[in-house]
Amino acid sequence: MVDPGDRAREEFFTEAQEIVETFSRNLLSLDATLKVGGDDPALVNEAFRAVHTLKGLAGLFGAAQLGLLSHRLEDLLDALRLGRMPLSPAVLDILFGSVDVYAQILDAERNALDPPAQAVDELCRRLDALGGASAEQPSLVVEYDLDPGMLAVLTEYEEHRLRTNIENGRGLYRLRVQFDLSTIDRALEEIKERAKRHGEIITYLPTGESASPDTIELDLLMASRDDLATLIGTLGADNVVIEEVPRRRRPSLAAGTVPPPDPAGTLLSLAPPGARLEPATSDDVLAVEPARSIKAVTQTVRVDIKKLDHLMNIIGELGIVRGVLARLSERARSDGQRQLATEILRLHRSFDRRLGDLRDAVLEVRMVPLGQVFDRLARVVRQISRDVGKDIRLVITGAETEIDKLIVEELSDPLMHMIRNAIDHGIEAAAVREKAGKPPAGTIALNAYQKGNHVMIEIEDDGAGIDEDALVEKAIALGRISRVDAGDLARHDLLGLIFMPGISTRDVAGDLSGRGVGMDVVKTNMAKIGGVIDVHSERGIGTKMTITLPITLAIVNALLVRAAGQVFALAVSHVSEAIVFDRRGLRTVEGREVVSLRGQTLPVCRLAEHLGLPEGQGPAPRRFVVVMALGARRLGLVVDAVLGQEDIVIKPLGPSLSDVRGLSGATELGDQRVALVLDSASLLEDVLSATDTGPLEVAPRG
Amino acid sequence: MADLVRLGARGPRRALAHQGPVREFLVLRIGADDYGVELTSIREILSPPPVTFVPRAPRSVLGVCSVRGLLVTVVDLRARLGLEAASASRRARLLLTGASSGEVFGVLVDEVRQVVRLSDGELELASTVFGGDVAEHVLGIGRPKPGDDVIILLDLVRLVDHLPETV
Repeated sequence: MVDPGDRAREEFFTEAQEIVETFSRNLLSLDATLKVGGDDPALVNEAFRAVHTLKGLAGLFGAAQLGLLSHRLEDLLDALRLGRMPLSPAVLDILFGSVDVYAQILDAERNALDPPAQAVDELCRRLDALGGASAEQPSLVVEYDLDPGMLAVLTEYEEHRLRTNIENGRGLYRLRVQFDLSTIDRALEEIKERAKRHGEIITYLPTGESASPDTIELDLLMASRDDLATLIGTLGADNVVIEEVPRRRRPSLAAGTVPPPDPAGTLLSLAPPGARLEPATSDDVLAVEPARSIKAVTQTVRVDIKKLDHLMNIIGELGIVRGVLARLSERARSDGQRQLATEILRLHRSFDRRLGDLRDAVLEVRMVPLGQVFDRLARVVRQISRDVGKDIRLVITGAETEIDKLIVEELSDPLMHMIRNAIDHGIEAAAVREKAGKPPAGTIALNAYQKGNHVMIEIEDDGAGIDEDALVEKAIALGRISRVDAGDLARHDLLGLIFMPGISTRDVAGDLSGRGVGMDVVKTNMAKIGGVIDVHSERGIGTKMTITLPITLAIVNALLVRAAGQVFALAVSHVSEAIVFDRRGLRTVEGREVVSLRGQTLPVCRLAEHLGLPEGQGPAPRRFVVVMALGARRLGLVVDAVLGQEDIVIKPLGPSLSDVRGLSGATELGDQRVALVLDSASLLEDVLSATDTGPLEVAPRG
Repeated sequence: MADLVRLGARGPRRALAHQGPVREFLVLRIGADDYGVELTSIREILSPPPVTFVPRAPRSVLGVCSVRGLLVTVVDLRARLGLEAASASRRARLLLTGASSGEVFGVLVDEVRQVVRLSDGELELASTVFGGDVAEHVLGIGRPKPGDDVIILLDLVRLVDHLPETV
């Protein structure tokens, strides 16, 4: 298949991936235009081009299944483009299906697995089933007094566009233009571009008459909604004469406005080398776009994220150099070399500033718009809503919000589960909705925005909301909470119960047919990328889940603490506060140490003991409790000292240490020492589930 | 390291080089014994940087350290070979090597002595000496010159590829 180890191969995947994503976006736009009964030939053309390019790539890299699928889709899109087949929701379904098959193929190729021949076959069968759905349309073209010479050389595509425009009630105009032979290409593009605002240039043909040997006269056939005066006002010029193509009463009526036809063949010989004078063929559609996008391509560089990680590491090392500079300055000062100390300090400051700029610049490169994952979600919504037979409107805002590339990759699965839950269990059936006075189509809003150093993503539905009574009953039935405790839980904490293992929103909605994924899994996956989920829900009005994510994983604001003489780092985003540890406040409840914090019970864990490290001998003068909060769970971590906050670059531990629980990596401190980074999620999990009363730690409000 | 190679090359063992292809081994001292590891398996020899203890790690793993920004897993060769721990010495060195997984390991040894060049004739494979019953990280026995002490040849990569599980 594809040669392994080839650098070009990686390029191939990236490019193919990007094209498939573009293709998918085109389909979504098409879906949207189709819903309002519109028609956008440019979108169909773009989709056609995407598939065509994929076919070319497949040939280049010998990816047979990719080529086969692309070839078949190309046929379908060509038929759509030429109007031989109408664009219907059924056709779009198949096209959307192909996006998934593409993903499977690329995945298989990348991992050198067997290509998903079955999926491709299946899709091809669906394509076959569409088959000869083409319909011969009655031609309205004859109603216009068009130059038969021009009509004779129309390509199939141009003919289709002409027909469509006439059917849509657009007027036809003839633009007679005089162009310099040397600049004809550019001049043509220019006028096409200007004409776009008013309509569409369908074809053009040289008239064979020209004022001088250096110029050429062309007839352009244009369709437009605007009237002649408007067009003359905007497009008219010395070298552009615009006339309306009259509608004829009887087909036989000949009009003097159209010059006698010239055989196209003799005219073509007038064309200077390089000039495209022949009527646009279907290949031209393919050629236009690449030519225009050459500039964009040269201004973009594709970079492996590993290279950016490497850059980040170097920046981390430079941070250490910065620390050394500061120390040097101090030493010089204490040695009495004040001038030297001042100079080093100045150097240190300027270095510090530039290093900060460099870090920000590299971080910025890692950022990608959330739109990447939102596009995929839009496809999923479309698919699921059709599967379950619910009409759902997806409203996306803030798709341009940027976040670390690595986070985006990890986001799509949890988000997909959440959206799936919203569709399956949140949005009611149309009949139920109407009874409740809601519009029959459900709405899911996907909003993203930046808030300080965090990115917020909201998933909001206008469905039935979460039935907290059913939720509590389920939690009690599972033995997760006692009835007494349940009475003490505030509403917000009640909703937190959906994150408990074994409970799914499906149970709550009483709908057994769904494919609800446990929210506990979603929450765990989110926690892996530093995300926290909050739930708000109103019965009968809807549910809103808010996800708070760090902008980047590359640099984390961490709290440095000391335990057993060792320094540990802890993501600040999971720490709510740090208090002085008061041994007298310590109680033991069911074998678990707890303290009281402002009237609430907080389970505590001695970090050193938990990690199996020897605790410092003798009574420590003063110890601290770092209060960690992750969603509804809270835990006090007893440490010897709180050393302060620092931005750290987390490096993963090697595979030989990957089994070690409770650690998410290590980071280098300024003095060449390495500090371990605690994994808040697994730490909470391990400590709180030890006696299996975990979720009970949702402290009662009092 | 380059100096070490030259030292070894000038040694008396050079005379035997004609007995076939020559392999270069770094001789390490652990306790009273000499061990040899193939030079090609070593990326770098360092004075041990401060090591951060990793709780719940496999027994032979001392912790992690940073070598110019690279996170290195530190393995104590004594612990790995099941020998008793010794107090840190000024002569201790860290040998950087790469595991098959790509993970970079630092192997802590008591002392680095010299480089020896062994031809096939001076090298007895583990399978012939011990039969089948030998740890897979033991490559064989080297006899640099008759009458000299033998050195136990270790396969460094295998040593770090298969770390015994946590105690």
